[in-house]
Amino acid sequence: MSNKNAMINRYAWYETIAIYAGIAVFMIFVLAPFVEGFLVSLKPLSRLFSSPYKFWPENGSFDAYFTMWDSVPGFGRYVFNSIFISTVATVIVLLLVVPAAYAFARFRFTGRGPLLGAFLAVNMFSGAVLIIPLFRLMRSMGILNTYAAMIVPGVAFLIPTAIWLLRTYMLRIPKELEEAAYADGASRIYTFRRVILPLAMPGITVVAITTFIGAYAQQFIYALTFNSKTEYMPLPIGLFAYFGRQEVIWNELMAASFVGIAPAMIVIFFLQRYLVNGLTAGAVK
Amino acid sequence: MGQLYLNKVTKSFGDVEVIKGVTLDIKNGEFVVFVGPSGCGKSTLLRMIAGLDDVSKGDIVIDGEKVNELPPVKRGIAMVFQSYALYPHMSVFENIAFPLRVEKMPEDELKAKVDGVAKVLQLDQRLQQKPGALSGGQRQRVAIGRAIVREPKIFLFDEPLSNLDAALRADMRLELTKLHHDLAATMIYVTHDQVEAMTMADRIVVLNGGFIAQTGRPLELYHKPQNKFVASFIGNPKMNFLPATCTSVGDDGATVTCEGQTLTVPVETRANLVGKQLTLGIRPEHCHLAKGEVKLKITPSVVERLGINTIVYYNEGTDDAFSALLPGAAPVAVDQPATIGFNAEDCHLFMGNGEALERRTELHEIDLSQLTGE
Repeated sequence: MSNKNAMINRYAWYETIAIYAGIAVFMIFVLAPFVEGFLVSLKPLSRLFSSPYKFWPENGSFDAYFTMWDSVPGFGRYVFNSIFISTVATVIVLLLVVPAAYAFARFRFTGRGPLLGAFLAVNMFSGAVLIIPLFRLMRSMGILNTYAAMIVPGVAFLIPTAIWLLRTYMLRIPKELEEAAYADGASRIYTFRRVILPLAMPGITVVAITTFIGAYAQQFIYALTFNSKTEYMPLPIGLFAYFGRQEVIWNELMAASFVGIAPAMIVIFFLQRYLVNGLTAGAVK
Repeated sequence: MGQLYLNKVTKSFGDVEVIKGVTLDIKNGEFVVFVGPSGCGKSTLLRMIAGLDDVSKGDIVIDGEKVNELPPVKRGIAMVFQSYALYPHMSVFENIAFPLRVEKMPEDELKAKVDGVAKVLQLDQRLQQKPGALSGGQRQRVAIGRAIVREPKIFLFDEPLSNLDAALRADMRLELTKLHHDLAATMIYVTHDQVEAMTMADRIVVLNGGFIAQTGRPLELYHKPQNKFVASFIGNPKMNFLPATCTSVGDDGATVTCEGQTLTVPVETRANLVGKQLTLGIRPEHCHLAKGEVKLKITPSVVERLGINTIVYYNEGTDDAFSALLPGAAPVAVDQPATIGFNAEDCHLFMGNGEALERRTELHEIDLSQLTGE
């Protein structure tokens, strides 16, 4: 960052304050629920409804993180289900989208424009709007109450965004590289494997991350409607188990939420290291 | 062998015809340069020869075989792209080895070939680096390496030097000329830079609007342009044009009046020339200060001093600037009237349709008998 002190990056002190104030408002808004949730997870259940309400936990502990496994014995399974569903959905999406995005980026075929438009239009419906028809479809296919019931609609609604994302990335790969490979005798498949795929890797990683997060987030609605078997339940449904008949075990619920998010965060943390910028440097010019 | 024959080749994009019937015979080992202004179709023609674009009509024949439908490799060509088109994720070694990997050549044979090519192009210290770490000239050499490693019959270059700075371009020009000499392969080179064309070519093909304007050796194009387009395209600063009227024709050429003066230009005449409106062309380097058979009074509007030369521009009353290339110390200044003169034997004459009347000048080959052998 040699241009950190470039003239264009200089601000007066009041501008700096205004910028940080703006960021602060936004960050507080986004992060406050997490902070509150984390603090709740540290409090003993009996102190939660103490009056006056104390923001900072007194004699807080991580007990809830241990007792939660006993209150809901199947919790580990729910976390696994969530990751399993998201991972399978991501793999299927990538297998379908990478060749599709390449075709949309490079080949001219009848209906390319309308097809892309249709994908964008599908994006405007969330799966929730189509839940009844999807249910009927799923029932006639006989895959209700299976993993497939949560994976298939998930994949279907994640594909359009993924295609648009990856197509845009692939358009940036210089066409001359393919022409050069063609002139050197390489087939389409060979060029795709040896030239296009390695260069599209950062784009594919971005698509993998967004798809994984998308799959993780959208499971709730599908799991709620298309699955009634406890052993296939993903995390969001599993959290309902902490809503007891008498009371809600809030501190364990919060602890469970954080434990449930953790695997996804770890995956994202590791994947983002592959978001290497400027991999195409030196290709042309 | 790398003999190429284009037979009435045309190319249309939709309704627009960009190549309008090109017929050309290129001999084995020849260095041919396609030159022309932007949009004249030179790159399209090259891509058609390469097999990247298809041919609308006509035939492309390499070594007696019609190759219209063959992919580039089967045609025995290799192409160097303007943008180099190196694979950024592969090392220099893998970039050069790419065509051989496609052929599935055995590893030791492949390594020997790539090392040999790297040595010729002085890239042997760079083989493990990525293209991103190389300078423009080195990237260019990698691109050339990828072309020569396959030992094709015909090399195609698409403006390979246009991304380099001026000094590097001059160096690479020399290297390419040397490479052509060493490989003795047929090379077709596209450029819009007439210096590259003049210096490197055995034969220049000047393209204009999808047609071949003229084909010939560099000096032939300079001394005997067949039309006004070639005359103004070859040479820098470009040729000056003045209106002239033919008054009589004789054994020693056509007599014309130009700027109120009469001169006899030694050209091949033709019938019905008398009374016709012609265009007289004179190159800036053939203009002299204050002497010559024809004299023009001018008031310079711009004077460029280059050290070795001084260029004077004058553009009053004409669309195109009149320019003269004078010695470096020529006593001229802006807004100070001066007299520019030129001789009839240096003049070119063009018909109303741009066609040239052939000059009666001998094209002197460089006389090698004068070599002293010291």
